[in-house]
Amino acid sequence: MTLLNDNVTQQVREVFQQLKEPVHILFFGQKANCDYCDETRQLVEEVAALSDKLSVEMYDLQDDAETAAQYHVDKAPGLVIAAKEDGQIQDFGIRYAGIPSGHEFTSLIQDVLLVSSRDSSLSPQTRDYLKSLKEPVYLQVFVTPT
Amino acid sequence: MVQAEMVEAMEFPLLANQYGVHGVPHTTINDGKGNVIGAVPEEHLLAEIRRVVGG
Repeated sequence: MTLLNDNVTQQVREVFQQLKEPVHILFFGQKANCDYCDETRQLVEEVAALSDKLSVEMYDLQDDAETAAQYHVDKAPGLVIAAKEDGQIQDFGIRYAGIPSGHEFTSLIQDVLLVSSRDSSLSPQTRDYLKSLKEPVYLQVFVTPT
Repeated sequence: MVQAEMVEAMEFPLLANQYGVHGVPHTTINDGKGNVIGAVPEEHLLAEIRRVVGG
């Protein structure tokens, strides 16, 4: 059984016509105590199947602890929305913790489009400031799917 | 230098409680050193980031 119905699949497929550059999603699950790992994995697989500019790789938080640490992923389900350039993964620091369903499904699709465009759309002033940062900035945006 | 994580508050209630999340969206900066509540304009978020890390 699929999570995305025909209507949504069709809409996402249309939106994905705008994809420019390749996007790579890293999924991190875990075997125990994860209510939404299976669904999130399936959701990501279904989304990735809708464009040949999208690829996805599956990891386990424990079994692939080194990769998880490399990408600073400490929650499952966890997603990294990264770019792919000439087969190399380029991390823009974009993460999801929890299932991107409901309203957050739209955020996921928007993030894929954003990464694909390779343009943050931030103002020149913001970009200048961020370039001058001397210590890391870690933002966590709490959301609910409804 | 910048990492941003969307956190589904219902799935990670302990973390949401730790930062006193009562409504969404709620953005925390550097593990609670700064907080922004609501979907705010870019300048507003930037002002709070500046307050936390300077510059």
